[in-house]
Amino acid sequence: MTQLDGPGASDPVSVPFTPGMRDNPEELAAIPDEIVRAHVLPPGPTRSQEFSEQWRNAAYSCFSSGHKFCREVCPVTQVTRNESWTPTAFHANVVAMDKGEMTIEEIAADYVNCTQCGACELRCPNTLFTGDFYRFRTRTVDVVKAVRAFAVESGVHQPAWQSWNERTDERSHEPVLGQTAVSQEHVRDWSDGLDLPIGGETVLFVDCEAAFYRTSVPRAVAQILQLAGYEFGLMGNQWCCGGPAAEMGYVDQAKRFAQHNLDDWRSTGTKRLLVLDPHDYISFTEDYPKYFGADFDIEVVLVVELFAELIREGKLTPRVPVERAITYHDPCRLNKRKGIWKEPREILRSIPGLDFKDVDRVTQWSYCSGGGGGLPVEKPELTAAISASRLENAARLDVDTLVSACPWSERPLGEAGEAADIDVVDIHEMLAESLGIEVGGSRGGSEGSGARGGDRS
Amino acid sequence: MTIAVERLDELVTALRTVLRDEQILTSKPDRYNRARVPAPFPVHRWSERLPDLAVLPTSTEEVAGVVRIANDLRVPVVPRDGGTGLTDGAVPLRGGIVVDVKRMNAIKELDLANRTVTVGTGINMLKLNEQLARHGLFYPDDPASYPCSLVGGRIGTSGWSLIGSRYGHTRDLVLSFDHVLPTGEVMHVGDGVGHKVSKSSSGYQLKHLFMGHQGTLGIATAATLKLFPKPEAELSPFWAFDNYDDAYACVGALARAGAATFAGAVLFDEWKVAYLRRDDEAYIPQPGDVRALVCAVMYGYEDEVRPAGKRLFRIAKEHGARYLGDEISQGDWAARHDRYATPLHGRTKAGQVVPMSWHCEDAAINYTDLPSVTKSWHEIVADLRRRTDVFDDWGMFAYTSGSTGVDYLTEIDVGIWEQQLDDRAWEMWVKAKRDLAAVALAHHGSISACHGSCREGEVDLVPDELGRGFDVMLDIKRALDPNNIMNPGKYLLDRAYEAGTRS
Repeated sequence: MTQLDGPGASDPVSVPFTPGMRDNPEELAAIPDEIVRAHVLPPGPTRSQEFSEQWRNAAYSCFSSGHKFCREVCPVTQVTRNESWTPTAFHANVVAMDKGEMTIEEIAADYVNCTQCGACELRCPNTLFTGDFYRFRTRTVDVVKAVRAFAVESGVHQPAWQSWNERTDERSHEPVLGQTAVSQEHVRDWSDGLDLPIGGETVLFVDCEAAFYRTSVPRAVAQILQLAGYEFGLMGNQWCCGGPAAEMGYVDQAKRFAQHNLDDWRSTGTKRLLVLDPHDYISFTEDYPKYFGADFDIEVVLVVELFAELIREGKLTPRVPVERAITYHDPCRLNKRKGIWKEPREILRSIPGLDFKDVDRVTQWSYCSGGGGGLPVEKPELTAAISASRLENAARLDVDTLVSACPWSERPLGEAGEAADIDVVDIHEMLAESLGIEVGGSRGGSEGSGARGGDRS
Repeated sequence: MTIAVERLDELVTALRTVLRDEQILTSKPDRYNRARVPAPFPVHRWSERLPDLAVLPTSTEEVAGVVRIANDLRVPVVPRDGGTGLTDGAVPLRGGIVVDVKRMNAIKELDLANRTVTVGTGINMLKLNEQLARHGLFYPDDPASYPCSLVGGRIGTSGWSLIGSRYGHTRDLVLSFDHVLPTGEVMHVGDGVGHKVSKSSSGYQLKHLFMGHQGTLGIATAATLKLFPKPEAELSPFWAFDNYDDAYACVGALARAGAATFAGAVLFDEWKVAYLRRDDEAYIPQPGDVRALVCAVMYGYEDEVRPAGKRLFRIAKEHGARYLGDEISQGDWAARHDRYATPLHGRTKAGQVVPMSWHCEDAAINYTDLPSVTKSWHEIVADLRRRTDVFDDWGMFAYTSGSTGVDYLTEIDVGIWEQQLDDRAWEMWVKAKRDLAAVALAHHGSISACHGSCREGEVDLVPDELGRGFDVMLDIKRALDPNNIMNPGKYLLDRAYEAGTRS
């Protein structure tokens, strides 16, 4: 009855062993193989096969897993229920290209359907239990970005993305106000009356959406910093961070913008960057180091983390009660992509008067505003559906306010909030209110000019 | 047998009478991504298993309309729910239409007084339980694919549940459902009849017939499910043993104890422990003297789980068990679904780590036959492994699927290096599957478990296992699906239409 009894015990393959252990019998590695051959690219590989070559192990790691735990946390899957637009499909398509079955022209349009929220990576068993021990961690966001870049490089464009990036290039800012032109002359308009210096060791970087559409957010941030006595300036000549271009596959443009910004920081002696937008935070902590390597020597500070620290140190003390029943929306790029979820909650818990109905961060893996990854530019209807679903979850908690920490989420969430009668507020604005600051500025809505992708001309 | 282009146009035109354009998907990625399940898949022959198109219906009426059209035009129909099944049920073998029910995922009615919920079959169990939790209830169907498989797929495969000893399996938990027959007619089927009734003696007991047919007898579209109180307490001790024999004796004793809160017990063998030991980061760090593991699981109220737990701990101790501690036990059981699918342990014999897919073969085996089947199965996989590194032995486990411990779902996990698959490797694998099934039958087991029976290899032995019963299957198939449109090629049911069979 004992498993190891009987003939065969002397055969090293017949007994349990751990491959690769030093004390294994030598003959194990010497057994001839009937099938396995070194992988070689087929002669005259297609461009798609050349592309898939660099992603084939990553794609097979997902393909091989078979189970698709990513699916029910994927915001696009949740609202479309379309298996072609699931994280696992994005890897399977690469396997199909590797097999010579499909081409970039055939798959490119499917890759629009991703907000790059990163939930799928967290929910993947590859990630959950093994970290990156074998360097096989599932990297769906990177795969999606790479396929989009390969599409652009191959001349396969999505119309709204192409137009968006052309206009960003033209204006050096994203066309967040649609036909209303934005330009260098207006990049600091949001700070009117705040008397902020230009340049210096620390500068506050304000993303396009906040600089032109939801100006109440950067105003709140700047005024809180002033209240705390924190010295900072604004950029001399601030261009878009280049992140959206990178997300949509326009890599050269993204790099050019990054180079401009880096040069500008150098010209004003800037060593530290304050960032209020989670998307920018990804660009500066992930994309820029990839572009510039060790040359990128700028310290990047996320404002939400800084504010939590200032509150902890007693340099900021929220005193004015804010009588609202709130819940907090974990922005994908903070919670899922960067693991930042404690500090926003610390800030909210420091504000008197709030009735805070929290949803834990793991449950929020399956939440998203739909505002990321260029989705609202190409498919505003999907963004709206994802935001509506997020607000449905909020409404179940019987709250009057949803607090976010990401300006890009606040436009779609705000629009969905109107239907659900829930106000969508930025965490920095709410903190400012409790600190007794009159913020001013615009929260978008009727003051703006329609949805982010509303004008695609 | 894919459809000729001109017929495809005819089909799409006909489908437009019941569906909107955006519900009809014909692109290559749409078809490729609906051809695959986690079962062994000859990826080098992917293009042979494509549907001609996929549809995304949102109601029973739309499903019925699609099936009616398919029946009129003699086009194959393959139902696809989560696509997580391991029996190949959702893989199209003859082209045709994949009916993907994922959009039918609404909760239609929650009946708190009768403790039932009626749902679209495209709903996922985890998502359903998120909603039910607010009412202190849960639906206790718990396959390894719990986070992503769907209720309809559970019906079509009649899956087993990891906690079935306490709550029953899909066939017990689904009270009744709407079902579209291969001709496009719609019926409601329960035990006999009934919507929210668990005991019915009218007529033949039809419910089981329309569960586990792998999509060969139609498509379930809406189901009424039994609900239970969300358990207040969960106890999931993991015990280590320094030999397999003691662990084997222990798991039997635990199952036979008859504790009312007992939901299941799992036995991990020496190969499984060796596999788990490959990667300290991935699993319980196991000292070298651990050779086998046993896990028992109890669910219920705190004041019934506690004394039952004491009894099981006493039994385990008597069998030489070493308790692995609360942290490991709770953490490991909580992560049971994710651990199951961790695919990173593929290694060549020399130790090179390669991306391998997880495959498993299993059968229901009587307790007394476990050691013998375990040994024979490892020998079959060792032979594969001796010949090539395409295959890796990831060990075996067995869990009780009945409250008395009469039989165990016995599973061998095999890593397959899919990047290296070719016709030769595929043939080796299919033969191995046939051999594994033959061992199960030789021990009077049943290969008709949740991971096999209908797919290439083991399906060849189904007529042997069922005997005259297989002919009854052919009779039923021919009667209900006169044109063989529902999932043709599966379960050897094409034989129902071959010349010489009774009409």
